[in-house]
Order: sequence, then C-alpha cells, then structure tokens
Amino acid sequence: MKNIAKRAGVLYALAAAFIVGLVILTAQFAVNGGAWSSNRFNRHIYTRGQIASAGAITDRNGEVLAKSDGGKRLYHESRAVRKATLHAVGDTEGFISTGIQSAYRQELTGYSFLNGIYTLKKYGRGSDIRLTLDANACAAAYNALDGRKGTVGVYNYKTGELLCMVSAPSYDVNNKPSAMALASQEKYEGVYLNRFLSGLYTPGSTFKVVTAAAALENIGDITTRSFVCDGKLELPSGTIICSAVHGKLNFEKAFNRSCNSAFAQIAVELGSQRLTQETVSLGFGESFSVGALATAKSRFNVSGADEAQLGWAGVGQHTTLVNPCHMLMIAGAVANGGEGLAPYLVDTITNPSGIVTYKGSLFKEKGVSMPAETASRLSGLMRSNVENYYSDSRFPGLRMCGKTGTAEVEKGKQPHAWFLGFSQRDDLPLAIVVVVENGGSGNSEAIPVAARVMKALDGGR
Amino acid sequence: MPAIRNKIPKRFKWPAAMGALTLFQLISFAQVVLAPGGFDPTLALIFIGYIILEWLYCLTARLAAPQSSQEVEVIAFLLSGIGLAVCGSIDTSYALKQLIAIIAGAAAYLLLSALLKNLSAAVFLRIPAAVAALGVLAFNLVAARTVNGALNWLKIGSFSVQPSEFVKVAFIFVGAVTIDKLQSTKSLAKYAVFSIACVGLLFLMRDFGTALIFFFTFVLIAFMRSGDMRSIILICTGALLGAMLVVYFKPYVAERFSTYRHIWENMDTGGFQQTRVLIYSASGGLLGLGIGEGKLRQVYAASTDLVFGMICEEWGLLLGLLVAASYAVLAVYCIKASRTAASSYYSIACVAAAGMLLFQTALNIFGITDLLPLTGVTLPFISRGGSSVIGSWALIAFIKSAGFRFKAAAQPERADIPISKNARAGRDAV
Repeated sequence: MKNIAKRAGVLYALAAAFIVGLVILTAQFAVNGGAWSSNRFNRHIYTRGQIASAGAITDRNGEVLAKSDGGKRLYHESRAVRKATLHAVGDTEGFISTGIQSAYRQELTGYSFLNGIYTLKKYGRGSDIRLTLDANACAAAYNALDGRKGTVGVYNYKTGELLCMVSAPSYDVNNKPSAMALASQEKYEGVYLNRFLSGLYTPGSTFKVVTAAAALENIGDITTRSFVCDGKLELPSGTIICSAVHGKLNFEKAFNRSCNSAFAQIAVELGSQRLTQETVSLGFGESFSVGALATAKSRFNVSGADEAQLGWAGVGQHTTLVNPCHMLMIAGAVANGGEGLAPYLVDTITNPSGIVTYKGSLFKEKGVSMPAETASRLSGLMRSNVENYYSDSRFPGLRMCGKTGTAEVEKGKQPHAWFLGFSQRDDLPLAIVVVVENGGSGNSEAIPVAARVMKALDGGR
Repeated sequence: MPAIRNKIPKRFKWPAAMGALTLFQLISFAQVVLAPGGFDPTLALIFIGYIILEWLYCLTARLAAPQSSQEVEVIAFLLSGIGLAVCGSIDTSYALKQLIAIIAGAAAYLLLSALLKNLSAAVFLRIPAAVAALGVLAFNLVAARTVNGALNWLKIGSFSVQPSEFVKVAFIFVGAVTIDKLQSTKSLAKYAVFSIACVGLLFLMRDFGTALIFFFTFVLIAFMRSGDMRSIILICTGALLGAMLVVYFKPYVAERFSTYRHIWENMDTGGFQQTRVLIYSASGGLLGLGIGEGKLRQVYAASTDLVFGMICEEWGLLLGLLVAASYAVLAVYCIKASRTAASSYYSIACVAAAGMLLFQTALNIFGITDLLPLTGVTLPFISRGGSSVIGSWALIAFIKSAGFRFKAAAQPERADIPISKNARAGRDAV
C-alpha cells in the first residue's frame, strides 16, 4: 500500500507537464496574439474579407486617408488622393501586402495582450496611424505620371520622413475595377505592387552616380582626365553605343551629358571587382527596412562579364536592376554629406486612449553611406548637371541637383525615364526619385514629373 | 516523513468556498441573462435552479456526514456552471438540456458512490461491467452513425448518446483492484486484454481521441498496480509500434492529423477550427470581450469541442487558464486523497480518474490550440453535451471514494487493509 501511495506521485508529473503546456500556450498568445487577432478571417475586424473596423490613417497634415465608421471603411474624399495613396494606405481586402492596412493591421486594431481587441469591438476604435506622407504631393505625383506606369518617391534626407510615395498603375478603392479587369488588363499590370518599395528597374544612366562614386574613390586624377567620344566605344568584345557624338570632354562634362563612351571606359578601367565593391558598399544586394516594410534588393552582377558587358554595366545597363527606394537613399547620401538615411513612413501610432505608442523618428533603420568627400564631390557634379545641362529654369528656385536616366529595356519598347535628385535648399532638404516606365528620355519625361512634385512640396510655388 | 504525508489536510471551509462560487456564478449568470436580446425568465430560472441545487447538495452532504468535505464537488460545480453559462449564452434550450445532464451526472455520481462503498459488490461487478462495456462499444460500432468521421454516436429516440463516455467510467471501475489482486500478473494481463479490446474498438470507430485517453488510463492503472517502469516502457513502445503499423496500413489515420502544426496553411480545411480558436482567443485578450460578444460561437462545435476557445474569447484568457488549472488542482488533490484511501481499489481508481480527466483536458485544450494534434475530445464538465457531462460527474465518484472511511463494523467483506495511518496498526502487508 505504501508503494501505491508513492506511485500516486506520478500525477505530479502529469500536472506539471500540463502546467508547462499552459505556460507555452500563454507565451504563444503573448507573442503571436496580435498577429492572430488581426488575421483576415477575424470577423470582428473583417466583413466578407474586407476590413471594416480599424483605426484611422492620416497624412502628415491630419488629412484622413482611411477610417472606419459604422462597420464601413471610408477613404479620402478626393479621387486623386485615393488613387495616389492606394499603395501606401493599402486596399480593403489586403491584396497590397505593403499597404499600411495590411502591414500594420495589428496596430490598426488596437490589439493589446491585456484587452485583446476590446476597444475596437466596444468603441469601434483601434490605434490611429499618422503617416509622414503629404497627400497633396502624392496626388500631384500621381497626376504628373499622367496614366503612365511608374513610381515617385520623395523624402527628407535630413530626417528620413517619406513625403511622397506613389506607385502607378493604381485604382480607386471606392470604385474598384473587377477582379477580371485587374488580373487581365495590361493597364493594371502589377497593380498590387508598390513599385517604390518592391519594384526593380534597369537604372540606365542614374547608375552613373554609382560609377562616378567608384571613380572618385579609386582613380586619383579622374577629375582632370579627358575623354573622347565619337558616339561609341569599341572594345574587343563589343561596342558601347553613346547617345551622341560628344567629342572631347572632361569628367564633369561627361557626367553632365551622360556620356556612355566615357563611363564605359571608366568602368572598364575600374574593373569588375572595384565596381562591385562600390555597389556593395552602397547597399546593392541588401533589403532596407522602411518601418515594418522592406525594399526589394538591388542587383549588380558582373561576375564573368566581358569588357563590353562591364562597360554596359557601368552605364546602368547589362543585368543591373535597382529598387527606386534604394536609389532614393543613395541620392539622400549624396545630399546629406554621405549619410543616406532609411526613409520611414509611419510618423506616429496613437492608441485608443490617445497615448502615442510609436514614433517613427525614434527608430533609425540601417541606411546607405558613402565617404563625406565622395558625397560632396558627387553633389557638386549633380548640381552642375542641372546648372549647366538640364537648366535651373525647369526647377525654379529649388537649387536642384540631379541625374537623369534613360534605361533601355526590351526591344520595341520605349526606355524607362528616370530622374534622381535633391534640392540643396536648407529649408527644403528633399531628395526625389522618379521612374516613368517606358516613358522615353529621362530628360524630357522624368524631369517634368520631378519638377511638378517638388513644386507641390515647395509650398505650391 | 510519513507523519507529514498522512496529516489530514486543513479543514475545508465550505461556506466560504460555496459563497465565492455563488458570487462568481451570480455575476456570470447575470451577464448571460442581461445580455442584449431580451430578458428570458426561463433562462434565469435555470440558473437560479442550478445555484439552489448546489447549496442543497452541499447542505445535505454536510448533514449526512459532518466530517466530509466537498472540495471536489465545488470544483465540479464551478466547471459545470461555466459550461451551463456558455450554453445559456447560446440558447435557452441548450442550457436546459445541460442542466438536466448535470443533474443526471450528479445522480450517476451518487449512485456509483453508493456502489463503491460496498466494495465487495463493486469487485464482484467488475467482470459484468467489462463485458457490458465491450458489448456497448461493439454495438455502437455496428449501429453507430458517423459524426465528423468518427462513429461514436448512437441515436436512441430523439437523444444522441456517446457510449464511449460511459465506457470510460467502466474502464476505471474494471481496472482498479483490491490488495489481493494487486500483485497478480494474471489479473493485470486480463485487464490488458480488456484494454486492448476497448482501444481497438474505439480505433475502428475512428474515435482516436478517446482511444488515446483509454490507452493513457490503462498505462496509468498498470503503473499504479505494478509500479514496474520497465513494463510501462515496454507497453508504450509496443503501442507506438502498433500505431506506426496502423498509420502504415491505414493512411487515413495519419491524414486526420496532417494539418497538425500546419493549421495556417489549411485555414479552410483541416486547420479551420484551430485557427479560429487562436484568432478569437487572441481577440479576447486576458480579460475577454464579454459573454455573448464573441465570434467563435458561430463556428461549428464552438460550445462542445472548442468551448475553451469560447471561454478565452468571451471570458478572457485569464479565466481560461484558471479553468484549466482547476483540473490540475483536482489531480494534485487526488495524490493526497489516494494516500489515505481505505483500499487500494480506491487509491487506484482515484488516481486513474484524476489522470483521465487531466489527460482529456490536455488533449482538448492543446488540441484545439495546435500544441497537440486535434483529436476532437470534449472538455470535461464544461463542453455542451449530456454524455460528456454525465461521464465526467460519474468519474468524481472514484475520486471521492478515496475519502471513504469505514467504521470497523461497516467494513466491507474481503476488505483489504486500510492504509490510513490511524487504522493501519502495523497490518500493512505491502
């Protein structure tokens, strides 16, 4: 009998195992509760797969971009703003995974481990999210793209605040085209993709900023070199075509006129190793965090490339693909003395009791950096581009610096038009990236878009 | 050491416990009755009736045996009351059925208690009980209707019953032994044959959850009887091999569990219930959304298998954890109680019943939250359903039997040696 009494102790082991299970379960709720409760199948939040009840999303000036009222999700009253901010705000069903309504849905529901989604359920209020975006600038950018596909991003290179983030094609959430149309029509190709964060494009001549940086750092007398351009650069393994016959020109002029002959020659002189090294140090192959969102990784690969291919790579062709947000950070590094901050999109998150639970400015994500010397010299070169070549008159009063790109894509299609630049004005520390897909020349197509957006952000002057 | 072990636990302050229980029930019942949708006097009567029943039981029990204590019943009343409130928050007719089940369960508990007091009769009835249990399961297998891929339901008139819930009681009833059979390998072997038959029949019914509970209880009883760890390991290894063979020859068994740890990829199929439990339990937070405010209640089997999720969503994870802890408390109580039992039969039955309840609770709670594979077993006392409630209550008789005290004259025939320190007087044979 004594033995039986002892054996009963086996229940201690069973009870202990059970309690351990409960602890694990509780820990799982503590860790994953927010993600679980904001699941798209939670009918407290979603009605027929559509977000119905959640906190409000506003722009930097308090313009309401999305809010919930009576179990319905309401968006900004202006159609242009709705279309321009679709990718930032996200759609109602959550197809746009990089939209705030998807990526921050846990925050929007106001979930807390203590209360679950009680406040949302009881008062219909979750946490409100204030973005760094300027709705008007976004609308201006969307309108400037004028129905063409592409993206525009503007951020404050001194603080990292993202003021404009537009991706086209877009659609009006209040008047969503049929699923059939979105899936099959060419004009809606990649409509759920935020091209600014997730897009990868051939950079064309905007890549010359990178090649120039490598040259400034590795070729001592680069600024006093002179190049001769007869419209092409013939190498044993192939020919690099230039946009014009530039004749004799120095490094600055070659950068101004975006001379392929000169930059291909520089790339060949640098060699694949040093050029690759430069791209790596500037963040190629890396994904950057924009708050809870992540950028696509830019790609530069010249391993096994022959001289001609290396030359093409040096002028932003070959297999190189870049992410617009990443390029914007490189422009930011040039503008900001070498420190290219990572942009952020969420300014503040305020919980239902009115307490700010998150401040974007406090979280410094990893950015892009280059030596201050390189940044300052590149800055001078990019300023010279506008001053001496694109013309300041196209950016009235902005003290713009920039580099255009005309990225050759598949045969029979117009090249992508690029502009990468920034304003040197102390009161307007903004960098901008513009991509107009198959838009044509960067100079004639991307600059006007950039100018309109910058003007909208410069107090509409 | 033994002095401490056999010390009689601190007196159970039953008026305080009953008072706290009643207060808790008044608050939760009021929430249900006063929920939006109109006051339902029938529902209020059901709840009031339940509270009166609790007090009647306790007072009668105190009067009948002033030395007795009612910890176990208070826990059972607490859990059953939560189940009753959950039922009432869905539908008054559910609450009425549940109340009837609780009353039937309490009656079954009292009847079984009376039988167990007469140990010689109980021992005599073990073989008929075993035969009846196997008969019921076999009949069930032949006549059953399939519910959710398991064949464990019988339709009698307008009632659906789950015979396996009652066989659980018989399983312990048959498994526990008095001291004279304790060392008998032959007796244990006979019980093993009975167990294999039960588990096999349950397997054929595809009620894997209950089969697992039976297997676990068999191992527990075998251990209590023999104390031989090597045999236990051998049994478990054998069972594992057997399970592997079953999975090899009957792939549908494995298929049932294929979504385990993959519920989020199968949200509309095999992971439907578990993902909804997690989504809505998380929505409730620690404090819950309020009774009747949940959405899990719209999911199939919410008030039966998934009731723990409903409690977490509406009453809060904190209360869910308290509910879960009650089963562990019951088990720990049984360790103490079994040590002072008047017979090895009672000791073994008490531990087996507590172990069975706790194991089933673990299968239920961890199954619906994907920590264990989902087997579709009920949460004892709480899940809606007559068979489950009656079975749970009947098991209490085994737990309470460890507290039976016999006056010398009233000692059962063939009684084995009491193990309470006072009565032992050096006669302990083992």
